[in-house]
Amino acid sequence: MIDVHELSKTYRVPVKEPGLAGSLRSLLRRQTRDVQAVAQVSFRIEQGERVGFLGPNGAGKTTTLKMLAGLLHPSSGRVEVLGLRPQDRPTELLRQITLVMGQKQQLLWDLPPTETFELNRAMFDLDRAEWRRTLDELIEMLSLQALLDKPVRNLSLGERMKCELCAALLHRPRVLFLDEPTIGLDVEMQAQVRRFIAQVNEAMGATVILTSHYMQDIAALTPRLLIIDQGRLRYDGPRDALAQRIAPERRISVRGSHPALVERGFREEQGRMVADVPTGGANRVLAEVLGLLPEAELGVEEIPLDEVMARYFRARP
Amino acid sequence: MRILRLARVLAALLRVALMNAAAWRASFLVELLVGASSSVGVVLPLFFVYQHAEQVAGWALPEALMVTAFFLLLQGLVGLLIEPNLSAVVEGVRTGALDYTVLKPVDAMLVSSLQRVAPAKAWDVLAGMGLLAWSAAQLPAPGPGGVILAALLFLAGLLAVYAIWILVICTSFWFVRVDNLRFLLGAALDAGRWPVDVYKGWLRLLLTVVVPVALVTSFPVLALRGEADATMLIQAFGASALLLLAARRTWLAALRHYTSASS
Repeated sequence: MIDVHELSKTYRVPVKEPGLAGSLRSLLRRQTRDVQAVAQVSFRIEQGERVGFLGPNGAGKTTTLKMLAGLLHPSSGRVEVLGLRPQDRPTELLRQITLVMGQKQQLLWDLPPTETFELNRAMFDLDRAEWRRTLDELIEMLSLQALLDKPVRNLSLGERMKCELCAALLHRPRVLFLDEPTIGLDVEMQAQVRRFIAQVNEAMGATVILTSHYMQDIAALTPRLLIIDQGRLRYDGPRDALAQRIAPERRISVRGSHPALVERGFREEQGRMVADVPTGGANRVLAEVLGLLPEAELGVEEIPLDEVMARYFRARP
Repeated sequence: MRILRLARVLAALLRVALMNAAAWRASFLVELLVGASSSVGVVLPLFFVYQHAEQVAGWALPEALMVTAFFLLLQGLVGLLIEPNLSAVVEGVRTGALDYTVLKPVDAMLVSSLQRVAPAKAWDVLAGMGLLAWSAAQLPAPGPGGVILAALLFLAGLLAVYAIWILVICTSFWFVRVDNLRFLLGAALDAGRWPVDVYKGWLRLLLTVVVPVALVTSFPVLALRGEADATMLIQAFGASALLLLAARRTWLAALRHYTSASS
């Protein structure tokens, strides 16, 4: 399905000294240096999988994604998507993949979204009846009905993202590359987009490869994680296994402020007393707390994914 | 089948480009007015010059007007179809908006060079056609061979200009901001409004070989005067084929260099 072997990408970037003098000097003699954005990354993704790319800013996630989609040519290594080389941009492949970028748009800015949908029908050479069926389905899933005849520039960020998703899926792609699809959206809209992506994955059997800074996206959507840091693949495996390894504790919280719990290892956090305890010891701590405070309102949960990731990146060499 | 599909894509692009141009009513109307006045501005200087001379470099007024007519046609078609796309592609490379064009299963060169139109430039095309008809009526009627030859020479020239425009667009993949090149090219095309014999030496060479604007404006008139032959036509198509090939290869190399501005 997707086969990546020793994939690397090096960019040549201009180097400029600060200030006006530096600008003038670089105007006369341009200096560049090579930056390795992705270094010898290898992995395989099977049809229908949902995979999350994680890593700090500038780690190489988007560069990897763009090489998978065929936008960037690898400096070395091999990529195959559906058995084809994406950098050759074979028509057969372009008809089966899609890329949605949270910070870029394909919608025609001054026209209603329907015009972009219509243009994509021509570009992908879709049969009108089939296109109409898919469009109706997407309009229904994304609740787009009220937005269809407004110029795109008058839509809100969230409304625009929903229309972007619709435009990107009209050709029923088998592979979805999503680069921060929920960036800048409010909580409710993020949830809607997440639900929709999960639905598309199930209904169309599409493979989903997602990068996001919102751990809720990853937690809700991608059971498998690829962690990329400084261009290298640091982890490839189940999300839960990573969480278990990095943060094997359970988080016990008690509603309200209870100074008596501080000496038992609890800390105060947003109106609650919180302690992270080893999984095996949770019952003992719960019993102790109830012994001390029989009326206490208790909660037990896993360590949230963003904290797991923060710990992961703090602990890296 | 492929041609038919391409035609459908181009029709869809043209439709969107026209709707885009019409989306801002006031701007659309102002541009129409400006377009009309600029067409008039192209013709006027010729009358001033010919007040003082019967002939310039062997060209009488109706012939020179005919060159201007072809120049207006060229300027109109370039302004209508080609030029608005240069800024679109340059902007697309700078902002990364080109990503979505590159990911469509259609030829990215064709789409990016024909995604915008400036309908106001249609005035130049109309004015050019009008002027061509008027000046032709002042001159002895050319034979059918001359007319066909003139049309073909004009077409070859247009293809050459299109190829040069693609080459200019391609430079933006390496240098990102190349808006200024547009003005340079505009100035070179502008020289085509005068009969080619007005220019001497290297300037003439520049206008017939490097930026073959004379091919589009002067040579068709020579054909209509019966002074062109098949050799000229073969040379013209040879030149534009070479330019198109160079443009295509450069475009493909440019795409390999595309860095897709970061998001």
